[in-house]
Amino acid sequence: MEWDWNFVWEIMPTLIEGLKITILATVFGAALAAVIGLVFAILRMTAPKPVAKATAFVVEFIRGTPLLVQLYFIFFVLPDIGIRLPAMLAGIIGLGLHYGTYAAEVYRAGIENVPRGQWEAAKATNLTGRQTWIHVILPQAIPPMIPALANYLIAMFKETPLLSAITVLELMNQAKSVANSSYRYIEPMTLVGIFFLIMSLISVVFLRWLEERYAQVEER
Amino acid sequence: MSMRTFLTMTASAGALTAFVAAAPAWADGKLEELKEQGFARVAIANEPPFTAVAADGKVSGAAPDVAREVFKRLGVEDIVASISEYGAMIPGLQAGRHDVITAGLFMKPERCNAVAYSEPILCDAEAFALKKGNPLKLKSYKDIADNPDARIGAPGGGTEEKLALEAGVPRDRVIVVPDGQSGLKMLQFGRIDVYSLPVLSINDLVAKAKDPGVEVVAPVEGAPVYCDGAAFKKGEEALRDAFDVELAKLKQSGEFAKIIEPYGFSAAAAMSTTREKLCAAK
Repeated sequence: MEWDWNFVWEIMPTLIEGLKITILATVFGAALAAVIGLVFAILRMTAPKPVAKATAFVVEFIRGTPLLVQLYFIFFVLPDIGIRLPAMLAGIIGLGLHYGTYAAEVYRAGIENVPRGQWEAAKATNLTGRQTWIHVILPQAIPPMIPALANYLIAMFKETPLLSAITVLELMNQAKSVANSSYRYIEPMTLVGIFFLIMSLISVVFLRWLEERYAQVEER
Repeated sequence: MSMRTFLTMTASAGALTAFVAAAPAWADGKLEELKEQGFARVAIANEPPFTAVAADGKVSGAAPDVAREVFKRLGVEDIVASISEYGAMIPGLQAGRHDVITAGLFMKPERCNAVAYSEPILCDAEAFALKKGNPLKLKSYKDIADNPDARIGAPGGGTEEKLALEAGVPRDRVIVVPDGQSGLKMLQFGRIDVYSLPVLSINDLVAKAKDPGVEVVAPVEGAPVYCDGAAFKKGEEALRDAFDVELAKLKQSGEFAKIIEPYGFSAAAAMSTTREKLCAAK
């Protein structure tokens, strides 16, 4: 089996269609994960004990089960109770929920890592709760979170091929359908790998930059 | 690197070379190799009645049953099946993941170019499962192409997916469905408007579902009757020819009919046509 450049150019537009969906799913999934993570983190840290406990359980439950199972559940089981989501939306919700739980832990760690003395100092200087969060806690909590969050973003990007299992026509699924009619895997799968590699490498450069920019918050 | 690791590595490299060097020699005597091995690896799809896997893992269905019998006569004791998507079967065959495809993979000219088919085994027309009353009035793949709201579900790489695309249904309205159960669910939930499989598969699926809200259109207008054959790797025509000889005997003795007719297939249909005709058909 040898590499066929003509075939590569022929399938390129189809794969790029898939890549668009992959990127879209990642972007929306990440946005949803950021919001859901925040909700989970806040509930877990500030809600009354039973609610916090329940949230902790839900977070552990979602973190402890495979994303693929969750996707199947959202797409194939939820309609049984009347919730019928389009494939793409189901995929975004699956990604967002799964990675939201990871994000929640990052938020929690970031906030809890702000030294207790900072809270006390804020109280001593008579700052309101709002002022404490905005001017004291968050500016110290967010920078160390960023590299960790970006890391999960890359991880999530690389998990998007799972969406092909629930009929989303993303990059992997397009490559499979190309292979289905051409009986060739070598070019489509290599290209999928290359696309992911290129995107990941760009993200890694960006991540390095973020780390350099924010990691040495201590020395500031 | 310690001396020991070095030796192990050399040894494994040596073994690997021997393995690679031996491979071409086997290709001539593929049948001998299978006999020695005691089984043939077949690709199936778990789409009753063509291919089925029971809850206990036992492989049945018309296609594997015929293959099992033919291989037995060739001196290969048993078959070992692996479930695969239709689209992955031919690449898998080419990559040596299995020895033969026995899955109701219908003969179409482009597939005939990619694999070496046996003579026809199972024949069936195409069918649609759709909502009761056929609200979109879909009777052919062309109807689906013409109705911008109609979405069709079909197995990835299966004949139905290709027929839909050939009829001009755009890619985003041809939903690739992983298996029969998912297809039925997606139909019930309105994710797709029609689910297309061969007639016997649809009937089997709908009968098992016992859902009065689903009805069957069979056969699909304009789609001819297709037949499958056991598909071998190109270059292994010797094995294919041996398979054909035993298959012909089986057909002649009437045992062929005894195997496939309980599944609902017509032995006469398979015997009235040939690979040559089906591969040339457009």
